[in-house]
Amino acid sequence: MDSLTIIREFLDSRLEIAPERVLPEAKLDDLDVDSLMLAEIMFEFEDRFNLTLRRNLKSPRTVGELVALMDRLRSEQG
Amino acid sequence: MTRRRVAVTGLGLVSPYGGDPADFFARLLAGESAIRFLRTDDVPRPLAMPFVSCAGFSADAMLGRALAGTLDRFAQLGVAAAFAAWDDAGFPRKEAVPDRESWGVAWGTALGGTLAYEKGYRDLWQRGRERLSPLSLIQGLNNAANAHISIQFGLGGVSMTHTVACASSAIAIGEAFRRVRSGEAPVMVSGGSDAPQAYAVARAWEALRVLASGDENTAPQSCRPFSVDRSGLVLGEGGAALVLEDWEHAVARGARIHGEMLGYGTSCDHSHLVRPEAAGQVRALEAALADAGLTSGDIDYINAHGTATAEGDPVEVAALRAVFGERAARLPVSATKSMHGHQLGAAGAVEAIVTVLALREQALPPTAHLADLDPACAGVDHVVTVRRGQTLRAALSNSFAFGGSNAVLAFRAVA
Repeated sequence: MDSLTIIREFLDSRLEIAPERVLPEAKLDDLDVDSLMLAEIMFEFEDRFNLTLRRNLKSPRTVGELVALMDRLRSEQG
Repeated sequence: MTRRRVAVTGLGLVSPYGGDPADFFARLLAGESAIRFLRTDDVPRPLAMPFVSCAGFSADAMLGRALAGTLDRFAQLGVAAAFAAWDDAGFPRKEAVPDRESWGVAWGTALGGTLAYEKGYRDLWQRGRERLSPLSLIQGLNNAANAHISIQFGLGGVSMTHTVACASSAIAIGEAFRRVRSGEAPVMVSGGSDAPQAYAVARAWEALRVLASGDENTAPQSCRPFSVDRSGLVLGEGGAALVLEDWEHAVARGARIHGEMLGYGTSCDHSHLVRPEAAGQVRALEAALADAGLTSGDIDYINAHGTATAEGDPVEVAALRAVFGERAARLPVSATKSMHGHQLGAAGAVEAIVTVLALREQALPPTAHLADLDPACAGVDHVVTVRRGQTLRAALSNSFAFGGSNAVLAFRAVA
Protein backbone atom coordinates (compact mmCIF):
# COMPACT_ATOMS: atom_id res chain seq x y z
CA MET A 1 0.00 0.00 0.00
CA ASP A 2 1.42 3.41 -0.90
CA SER A 3 2.12 6.01 1.78
CA LEU A 4 -0.61 8.41 0.67
CA THR A 5 -3.25 5.68 0.98
CA ILE A 6 -2.02 4.81 4.49
CA ILE A 7 -2.31 8.46 5.52
CA ARG A 8 -5.76 8.78 3.97
CA GLU A 9 -7.04 5.64 5.67
CA PHE A 10 -5.67 6.75 9.00
CA LEU A 11 -7.14 10.24 8.85
CA ASP A 12 -10.48 8.90 7.68
CA SER A 13 -10.78 6.42 10.55
CA ARG A 14 -9.28 8.60 13.26
CA LEU A 15 -10.54 12.11 12.38
CA GLU A 16 -13.28 11.42 9.82
CA ILE A 17 -11.40 13.46 7.20
CA ALA A 18 -12.64 12.68 3.70
CA PRO A 19 -9.82 11.09 1.62
CA GLU A 20 -10.36 13.59 -1.21
CA ARG A 21 -9.24 16.38 1.15
CA VAL A 22 -5.94 14.63 1.82
CA LEU A 23 -4.00 15.98 -1.15
CA PRO A 24 -0.21 16.35 -1.36
CA GLU A 25 -0.39 20.14 -1.13
CA ALA A 26 -2.74 20.12 1.90
CA LYS A 27 -1.22 21.56 5.05
CA LEU A 28 -1.32 19.22 8.05
CA ASP A 29 -2.44 22.12 10.25
CA ASP A 30 -5.46 22.67 8.02
CA LEU A 31 -6.41 19.00 8.44
CA ASP A 32 -6.20 19.34 12.26
CA VAL A 33 -3.15 17.09 12.33
CA ASP A 34 -1.27 18.42 15.35
CA SER A 35 2.01 17.10 16.74
CA LEU A 36 0.21 14.40 18.74
CA MET A 37 -1.75 13.22 15.72
CA LEU A 38 1.44 13.21 13.67
CA ALA A 39 3.05 11.01 16.32
CA GLU A 40 0.08 8.65 16.00
CA ILE A 41 0.42 8.48 12.22
CA MET A 42 4.14 7.79 12.45
CA PHE A 43 3.50 5.10 15.07
CA GLU A 44 0.99 3.47 12.75
CA PHE A 45 3.52 3.67 9.96
CA GLU A 46 6.33 2.16 12.06
CA ASP A 47 4.00 -0.58 13.18
CA ARG A 48 2.81 -1.50 9.74
CA PHE A 49 6.25 -1.70 8.15
CA ASN A 50 8.20 -2.71 11.23
CA LEU A 51 10.41 0.35 10.99
CA THR A 52 12.05 2.41 13.68
CA LEU A 53 12.15 6.12 13.09
CA ARG A 54 14.93 8.34 14.26
CA ARG A 55 13.71 10.68 17.00
CA ASN A 56 15.13 13.84 15.45
CA LEU A 57 13.21 13.77 12.19
CA LYS A 58 12.14 17.15 10.86
CA SER A 59 8.37 17.51 11.17
CA PRO A 60 6.58 17.59 7.81
CA ARG A 61 4.22 20.52 7.18
CA THR A 62 2.19 19.15 4.30
CA VAL A 63 0.74 15.80 3.27
CA GLY A 64 3.27 15.73 0.41
CA GLU A 65 6.20 16.18 2.81
CA LEU A 66 4.81 13.42 5.02
CA VAL A 67 4.48 11.09 2.03
CA ALA A 68 8.05 11.89 0.96
CA LEU A 69 9.32 11.18 4.48
CA MET A 70 7.53 7.85 4.63
CA ASP A 71 8.71 6.84 1.15
CA ARG A 72 12.31 7.69 1.99
CA LEU A 73 12.23 5.71 5.24
CA ARG A 74 10.69 2.70 3.53
CA SER A 75 13.36 2.71 0.84
CA GLU A 76 16.17 3.19 3.41
CA GLN A 77 15.02 0.49 5.81
CA GLY A 78 13.02 -1.74 3.50
CA MET B 1 -15.89 37.25 53.84
CA THR B 2 -19.13 37.59 51.94
CA ARG B 3 -20.64 34.26 51.09
CA ARG B 4 -22.29 33.89 47.73
CA ARG B 5 -25.29 31.63 47.28
CA VAL B 6 -24.61 28.62 45.06
CA ALA B 7 -27.12 27.40 42.49
CA VAL B 8 -27.09 24.03 40.76
CA THR B 9 -27.86 24.99 37.16
CA GLY B 10 -26.65 21.98 35.19
CA LEU B 11 -26.99 18.21 35.59
CA GLY B 12 -25.34 15.71 33.27
CA LEU B 13 -25.00 11.96 33.30
CA VAL B 14 -23.63 9.00 31.47
CA SER B 15 -25.49 6.27 33.28
CA PRO B 16 -26.50 2.67 32.64
CA TYR B 17 -30.03 3.99 32.08
CA GLY B 18 -28.87 6.58 29.52
CA GLY B 19 -28.11 10.26 29.73
CA ASP B 20 -31.42 11.87 30.67
CA PRO B 21 -31.40 12.81 34.38
CA ALA B 22 -35.20 12.83 34.57
CA ASP B 23 -35.44 9.32 33.12
CA PHE B 24 -32.56 8.16 35.33
CA PHE B 25 -34.40 9.42 38.40
CA ALA B 26 -37.72 7.90 37.29
CA ARG B 27 -36.02 4.50 36.97
CA LEU B 28 -34.61 4.83 40.47
CA LEU B 29 -38.03 5.80 41.85
CA ALA B 30 -39.40 2.66 40.21
CA GLY B 31 -36.72 0.56 41.92
CA GLU B 32 -35.23 -0.56 38.62
CA SER B 33 -31.81 -2.14 38.95
CA ALA B 34 -29.22 -1.54 36.22
CA ILE B 35 -26.96 -4.28 37.57
CA ARG B 36 -26.21 -7.13 35.17
CA PHE B 37 -23.85 -10.09 35.12
CA LEU B 38 -20.56 -9.29 33.41
CA ARG B 39 -18.52 -12.05 31.81
CA THR B 40 -15.41 -11.07 29.86
CA ASP B 41 -13.26 -13.16 27.53
CA ASP B 42 -10.07 -12.59 29.49
CA VAL B 43 -7.64 -15.47 29.79
CA PRO B 44 -6.79 -17.47 31.75
CA ARG B 45 -9.78 -16.47 33.88
CA PRO B 46 -12.56 -14.17 32.72
CA LEU B 47 -14.14 -11.54 34.90
CA ALA B 48 -17.47 -12.92 36.02
CA MET B 49 -19.32 -10.65 38.42
CA PRO B 50 -22.35 -8.41 38.82
CA PHE B 51 -21.46 -5.09 37.20
CA VAL B 52 -23.02 -1.91 35.90
CA SER B 53 -22.10 -0.95 32.32
CA CYS B 54 -23.10 2.07 30.28
CA ALA B 55 -23.73 -0.19 27.32
CA GLY B 56 -25.68 2.39 25.33
CA PHE B 57 -22.94 5.00 25.52
CA SER B 58 -21.23 5.87 22.24
CA ALA B 59 -18.18 8.06 22.78
CA ASP B 60 -17.90 8.75 19.05
CA ALA B 61 -21.49 9.99 18.91
CA MET B 62 -21.26 12.09 22.07
CA LEU B 63 -17.80 13.55 21.62
CA GLY B 64 -16.90 13.14 17.96
CA ARG B 65 -14.39 10.57 16.81
CA ALA B 66 -11.35 12.85 16.98
CA LEU B 67 -11.83 13.72 20.65
CA ALA B 68 -13.11 10.29 21.67
CA GLY B 69 -10.03 8.62 20.20
CA THR B 70 -7.75 10.70 22.40
CA LEU B 71 -9.46 9.72 25.65
CA ASP B 72 -9.46 6.72 27.94
CA ARG B 73 -12.92 5.37 28.79
CA PHE B 74 -13.01 7.18 32.17
CA ALA B 75 -12.40 10.52 30.48
CA GLN B 76 -14.89 9.77 27.70
CA LEU B 77 -17.56 9.16 30.34
CA GLY B 78 -16.54 12.29 32.21
CA VAL B 79 -16.33 14.69 29.30
CA ALA B 80 -19.65 13.41 27.92
CA ALA B 81 -21.31 13.96 31.32
CA ALA B 82 -19.82 17.46 31.47
CA PHE B 83 -21.10 18.21 27.95
CA ALA B 84 -24.59 17.18 29.07
CA ALA B 85 -24.43 19.30 32.24
CA TRP B 86 -23.10 22.28 30.29
CA ASP B 87 -25.89 22.00 27.71
CA ASP B 88 -28.41 21.64 30.53
CA ALA B 89 -27.10 24.84 32.11
CA GLY B 90 -27.64 26.61 28.80
CA PHE B 91 -24.03 27.62 28.12
CA PRO B 92 -22.58 27.51 24.60
CA ARG B 93 -19.88 24.83 24.31
CA LYS B 94 -16.86 26.99 23.54
CA GLU B 95 -16.80 30.70 23.67
CA ALA B 96 -13.63 32.77 23.84
CA VAL B 97 -15.00 35.32 26.26
CA PRO B 98 -12.82 36.93 28.92
CA ASP B 99 -15.14 36.22 31.84
CA ARG B 100 -14.56 32.49 31.50
CA GLU B 101 -10.95 33.01 32.56
CA SER B 102 -12.06 32.59 36.18
CA TRP B 103 -14.46 29.69 35.59
CA GLY B 104 -13.10 26.27 36.47
CA VAL B 105 -13.36 22.53 36.82
CA ALA B 106 -13.06 20.29 39.87
CA TRP B 107 -13.22 16.63 38.92
CA GLY B 108 -13.06 13.33 40.78
CA THR B 109 -11.80 9.92 39.80
CA ALA B 110 -10.57 7.00 41.85
CA LEU B 111 -8.86 5.09 39.06
CA GLY B 112 -8.24 7.59 36.28
CA GLY B 113 -6.69 6.22 33.11
CA THR B 114 -6.15 2.70 34.41
CA LEU B 115 -7.60 1.07 31.30
CA ALA B 116 -5.08 2.84 29.07
CA TYR B 117 -2.17 1.58 31.12
CA GLU B 118 -3.66 -1.88 31.32
CA LYS B 119 -3.87 -1.96 27.53
CA GLY B 120 -0.19 -0.99 27.48
CA TYR B 121 0.76 -3.84 29.80
CA ARG B 122 -1.23 -6.30 27.71
CA ASP B 123 0.46 -5.08 24.53
CA LEU B 124 3.93 -5.33 26.03
CA TRP B 125 3.70 -8.45 28.16
CA GLN B 126 0.89 -10.46 26.61
CA ARG B 127 1.19 -9.65 22.92
CA GLY B 128 4.97 -9.30 22.92
CA ARG B 129 4.97 -5.85 21.38
CA GLU B 130 8.01 -3.71 21.86
CA ARG B 131 6.46 -0.25 21.89
CA LEU B 132 3.31 1.59 22.76
CA SER B 133 1.11 4.08 20.97
CA PRO B 134 2.04 7.69 21.71
CA LEU B 135 -1.54 8.09 22.90
CA SER B 136 -0.95 5.76 25.85
CA LEU B 137 0.39 8.47 28.10
CA ILE B 138 -2.18 11.06 27.04
CA GLN B 139 -5.03 8.64 27.65
CA GLY B 140 -3.60 7.47 30.95
CA LEU B 141 -3.38 10.91 32.54
CA ASN B 142 -5.53 10.99 35.64
CA ASN B 143 -6.28 14.67 35.01
CA ALA B 144 -7.35 14.07 31.41
CA ALA B 145 -11.06 14.60 32.11
CA ASN B 146 -10.74 17.97 33.84
CA ALA B 147 -8.19 19.18 31.28
CA HIS B 148 -10.40 18.30 28.32
CA ILE B 149 -13.46 19.85 29.97
CA SER B 150 -11.55 23.12 30.46
CA ILE B 151 -10.39 23.02 26.84
CA GLN B 152 -13.82 22.22 25.42
CA PHE B 153 -15.59 24.99 27.34
CA GLY B 154 -12.76 27.53 27.28
CA LEU B 155 -12.46 27.72 31.07
CA GLY B 156 -9.37 29.53 32.30
CA GLY B 157 -9.66 29.13 36.07
CA VAL B 158 -8.72 26.26 38.33
CA SER B 159 -8.75 22.83 36.68
CA MET B 160 -7.91 19.85 38.85
CA THR B 161 -8.77 16.29 39.74
CA HIS B 162 -9.30 14.95 43.23
CA THR B 163 -8.45 11.30 43.83
CA VAL B 164 -10.02 10.23 47.11
CA ALA B 165 -11.29 6.73 46.31
CA CYS B 166 -15.08 6.51 46.66
CA ALA B 167 -15.39 10.11 47.89
CA SER B 168 -13.48 11.59 44.93
CA SER B 169 -16.31 13.40 43.20
CA ALA B 170 -18.12 14.37 46.40
CA ILE B 171 -14.95 16.10 47.49
CA ALA B 172 -14.54 17.62 44.03
CA ILE B 173 -18.08 19.03 44.25
CA GLY B 174 -17.40 20.33 47.75
CA GLU B 175 -14.20 22.06 46.66
CA ALA B 176 -15.95 23.54 43.62
CA PHE B 177 -18.78 24.74 45.88
CA ARG B 178 -16.31 26.58 48.10
CA ARG B 179 -14.82 28.39 45.12
CA VAL B 180 -18.22 29.59 43.94
CA ARG B 181 -19.37 30.53 47.42
CA SER B 182 -16.22 32.56 48.08
CA GLY B 183 -16.67 34.50 44.84
CA GLU B 184 -13.46 33.12 43.37
CA ALA B 185 -15.29 31.51 40.45
CA PRO B 186 -18.80 32.39 39.29
CA VAL B 187 -19.18 29.02 37.54
CA MET B 188 -17.60 25.65 38.25
CA VAL B 189 -18.10 22.34 36.46
CA SER B 190 -17.76 19.50 38.89
CA GLY B 191 -18.34 15.78 38.98
CA GLY B 192 -16.53 12.55 38.42
CA SER B 193 -16.04 9.51 36.26
CA ASP B 194 -14.55 6.05 36.50
CA ALA B 195 -14.33 2.87 34.46
CA PRO B 196 -13.42 0.09 36.88
CA GLN B 197 -13.69 -2.76 34.39
CA ALA B 198 -9.90 -2.87 34.05
CA TYR B 199 -9.08 -6.53 34.58
CA ALA B 200 -6.50 -6.10 37.32
CA VAL B 201 -8.63 -3.51 39.11
CA ALA B 202 -11.70 -5.72 39.16
CA ARG B 203 -9.65 -8.70 40.29
CA ALA B 204 -8.07 -6.59 43.05
CA TRP B 205 -11.53 -5.63 44.32
CA GLU B 206 -12.51 -9.29 44.16
CA ALA B 207 -9.48 -10.21 46.26
CA LEU B 208 -10.62 -7.82 48.97
CA ARG B 209 -13.82 -9.91 49.32
CA VAL B 210 -16.14 -6.92 49.29
CA LEU B 211 -17.88 -7.54 45.95
CA ALA B 212 -21.45 -8.79 45.85
CA SER B 213 -21.99 -12.35 44.74
CA GLY B 214 -24.45 -13.07 41.96
CA ASP B 215 -24.95 -14.87 38.68
CA GLU B 216 -26.84 -14.30 35.43
CA ASN B 217 -30.17 -14.66 37.21
CA THR B 218 -29.49 -12.97 40.51
CA ALA B 219 -27.20 -10.10 39.45
CA PRO B 220 -29.92 -7.40 39.32
CA GLN B 221 -30.75 -8.04 42.99
CA SER B 222 -27.18 -8.63 44.12
CA CYS B 223 -26.54 -5.27 45.81
CA ARG B 224 -28.62 -5.15 48.99
CA PRO B 225 -27.53 -2.30 51.29
CA PHE B 226 -28.66 -2.59 54.94
CA SER B 227 -30.10 -6.05 54.27
CA VAL B 228 -29.23 -8.88 56.62
CA ASP B 229 -28.16 -11.00 53.64
CA ARG B 230 -26.09 -8.31 51.86
CA SER B 231 -22.93 -9.65 50.27
CA GLY B 232 -21.06 -6.58 49.10
CA LEU B 233 -20.86 -3.81 46.56
CA VAL B 234 -21.26 -3.88 42.78
CA LEU B 235 -18.72 -2.03 40.66
CA GLY B 236 -19.97 0.15 37.84
CA GLU B 237 -18.78 2.62 35.26
CA GLY B 238 -20.22 6.06 34.72
CA GLY B 239 -19.85 9.78 34.66
CA ALA B 240 -21.82 12.55 36.34
CA ALA B 241 -21.44 16.31 36.34
CA LEU B 242 -23.03 19.34 37.95
CA VAL B 243 -22.71 22.99 37.05
CA LEU B 244 -22.43 25.07 40.21
CA GLU B 245 -23.09 28.75 39.67
CA ASP B 246 -23.15 31.95 41.63
CA TRP B 247 -26.84 32.46 42.42
CA GLU B 248 -27.02 36.04 41.18
CA HIS B 249 -25.13 35.11 38.03
CA ALA B 250 -27.66 32.36 37.37
CA VAL B 251 -30.67 34.57 38.06
CA ALA B 252 -29.29 37.38 35.91
CA ARG B 253 -29.09 35.13 32.86
CA GLY B 254 -32.45 33.50 33.56
CA ALA B 255 -31.00 30.04 34.19
CA ARG B 256 -33.14 27.18 35.45
CA ILE B 257 -32.08 26.39 39.02
CA HIS B 258 -32.41 22.72 40.00
CA GLY B 259 -31.50 23.28 43.63
CA GLU B 260 -29.26 25.19 45.99
CA MET B 261 -26.03 23.80 47.37
CA LEU B 262 -25.69 24.87 50.96
CA GLY B 263 -22.77 23.10 52.55
CA TYR B 264 -19.88 20.67 52.49
CA GLY B 265 -18.25 18.79 55.32
CA THR B 266 -15.20 16.60 55.15
CA SER B 267 -13.16 14.65 57.66
CA CYS B 268 -10.79 11.72 58.04
CA ASP B 269 -11.29 8.73 60.32
CA HIS B 270 -7.52 8.70 60.85
CA SER B 271 -7.74 5.15 62.15
CA HIS B 272 -7.74 2.51 59.42
CA LEU B 273 -7.50 2.38 55.65
CA VAL B 274 -10.55 0.21 54.99
CA ARG B 275 -12.43 -0.11 58.29
CA PRO B 276 -14.77 2.89 58.60
CA GLU B 277 -15.35 4.64 61.92
CA ALA B 278 -18.60 6.30 62.95
CA ALA B 279 -16.76 9.10 64.77
CA GLY B 280 -15.11 10.30 61.56
CA GLN B 281 -18.38 10.17 59.65
CA VAL B 282 -20.12 12.09 62.45
CA ARG B 283 -17.53 14.84 62.11
CA ALA B 284 -18.21 15.12 58.37
CA LEU B 285 -21.99 15.14 58.87
CA GLU B 286 -21.80 17.79 61.59
CA ALA B 287 -19.36 19.86 59.54
CA ALA B 288 -21.73 19.79 56.55
CA LEU B 289 -24.69 20.86 58.70
CA ALA B 290 -22.71 23.68 60.29
CA ASP B 291 -21.32 24.80 56.94
CA ALA B 292 -24.85 24.86 55.53
CA GLY B 293 -26.24 26.77 58.51
CA LEU B 294 -28.67 23.93 59.16
CA THR B 295 -29.56 21.80 62.13
CA SER B 296 -30.32 18.09 62.06
CA GLY B 297 -34.01 19.02 62.26
CA ASP B 298 -33.84 20.65 58.84
CA ILE B 299 -32.85 17.49 56.97
CA ASP B 300 -35.61 15.50 55.29
CA TYR B 301 -33.56 12.93 53.35
CA ILE B 302 -30.16 11.24 53.39
CA ASN B 303 -28.73 9.64 50.30
CA ALA B 304 -26.53 7.13 52.07
CA HIS B 305 -23.11 5.95 51.00
CA GLY B 306 -24.65 2.49 51.56
CA THR B 307 -22.39 0.20 49.57
CA ALA B 308 -23.81 -3.05 51.03
CA THR B 309 -20.56 -4.17 52.63
CA ALA B 310 -20.73 -6.06 55.92
CA GLU B 311 -18.68 -3.47 57.78
CA GLY B 312 -19.72 -0.22 56.15
CA ASP B 313 -23.50 -0.14 56.41
CA PRO B 314 -23.90 -0.47 60.22
CA VAL B 315 -21.20 2.14 60.80
CA GLU B 316 -22.97 4.64 58.56
CA VAL B 317 -26.29 4.06 60.34
CA ALA B 318 -24.54 4.44 63.70
CA ALA B 319 -23.14 7.79 62.56
CA LEU B 320 -26.61 8.94 61.46
CA ARG B 321 -28.11 7.86 64.79
CA ALA B 322 -25.40 9.79 66.63
CA VAL B 323 -25.97 13.00 64.66
CA PHE B 324 -29.77 12.89 64.41
CA GLY B 325 -30.52 11.52 67.87
CA GLU B 326 -34.17 10.84 68.59
CA ARG B 327 -35.15 12.13 65.16
CA ALA B 328 -33.08 9.44 63.41
CA ALA B 329 -35.95 6.97 63.55
CA ARG B 330 -38.01 9.37 61.40
CA LEU B 331 -35.13 10.31 59.06
CA PRO B 332 -35.71 8.97 55.53
CA VAL B 333 -32.57 7.21 54.25
CA SER B 334 -31.92 5.30 51.05
CA ALA B 335 -28.94 3.77 49.28
CA THR B 336 -29.44 4.03 45.54
CA LYS B 337 -26.26 2.03 44.84
CA SER B 338 -28.66 -0.92 45.17
CA MET B 339 -29.77 0.01 41.62
CA HIS B 340 -27.03 2.04 39.89
CA GLY B 341 -24.08 0.30 41.53
CA HIS B 342 -20.90 1.86 42.80
CA GLN B 343 -19.13 4.09 40.25
CA LEU B 344 -16.23 4.69 42.66
CA GLY B 345 -14.88 8.13 41.81
CA ALA B 346 -18.13 9.06 40.09
CA ALA B 347 -20.41 7.81 42.86
CA GLY B 348 -20.47 11.03 44.84
CA ALA B 349 -21.55 13.02 41.79
CA VAL B 350 -24.14 10.43 40.73
CA GLU B 351 -25.65 10.55 44.20
CA ALA B 352 -25.43 14.34 44.42
CA ILE B 353 -27.61 14.37 41.30
CA VAL B 354 -30.01 11.88 42.90
CA THR B 355 -30.22 14.12 45.96
CA VAL B 356 -30.84 17.29 43.93
CA LEU B 357 -33.52 15.52 41.90
CA ALA B 358 -35.18 14.13 45.04
CA LEU B 359 -35.52 17.69 46.32
CA ARG B 360 -36.60 19.07 42.96
CA GLU B 361 -39.17 16.35 42.33
CA GLN B 362 -40.17 16.02 46.02
CA ALA B 363 -39.87 12.25 45.73
CA LEU B 364 -37.61 9.73 47.44
CA PRO B 365 -35.99 6.80 45.64
CA PRO B 366 -35.80 3.56 47.61
CA THR B 367 -33.07 1.23 48.73
CA ALA B 368 -33.95 -1.64 46.43
CA HIS B 369 -34.09 -5.27 47.60
CA LEU B 370 -34.32 -4.36 51.27
CA ALA B 371 -36.81 -6.97 52.47
CA ASP B 372 -34.98 -8.12 55.55
CA LEU B 373 -33.30 -5.30 57.48
CA ASP B 374 -30.12 -6.11 59.37
CA PRO B 375 -30.85 -5.22 63.03
CA ALA B 376 -27.41 -3.60 63.11
CA CYS B 377 -28.67 -1.14 60.47
CA ALA B 378 -31.91 -0.26 62.27
CA GLY B 379 -32.72 3.11 63.80
CA VAL B 380 -33.38 5.23 60.73
CA ASP B 381 -36.40 5.39 58.43
CA HIS B 382 -35.31 3.15 55.56
CA VAL B 383 -37.11 4.07 52.33
CA VAL B 384 -37.88 0.73 50.66
CA THR B 385 -40.31 1.88 48.00
CA VAL B 386 -40.84 5.17 46.21
CA ARG B 387 -42.17 7.80 48.58
CA ARG B 388 -43.98 11.02 47.78
CA GLY B 389 -46.13 13.41 49.72
CA GLN B 390 -43.62 14.48 52.35
CA THR B 391 -42.21 17.99 52.11
CA LEU B 392 -38.51 17.75 51.39
CA ARG B 393 -36.68 20.90 52.42
CA ALA B 394 -33.04 19.88 52.56
CA ALA B 395 -31.02 16.72 52.11
CA LEU B 396 -27.53 15.32 52.57
CA SER B 397 -25.48 13.04 50.33
CA ASN B 398 -22.87 10.88 52.06
CA SER B 399 -19.64 9.59 50.55
CA PHE B 400 -17.29 7.62 52.78
CA ALA B 401 -14.09 6.39 51.17
CA PHE B 402 -11.38 3.82 51.71
CA GLY B 403 -8.60 5.77 53.31
CA GLY B 404 -11.06 7.04 55.89
CA SER B 405 -11.88 10.19 53.94
CA ASN B 406 -15.47 11.32 54.41
CA ALA B 407 -17.47 13.90 52.50
CA VAL B 408 -21.03 15.10 53.03
CA LEU B 409 -22.83 17.49 50.68
CA ALA B 410 -25.89 19.53 51.68
CA PHE B 411 -28.57 20.71 49.25
CA ARG B 412 -31.85 22.64 49.60
CA ALA B 413 -34.98 22.58 47.50
CA VAL B 414 -35.89 25.77 45.64
CA ALA B 415 -39.45 26.89 45.38
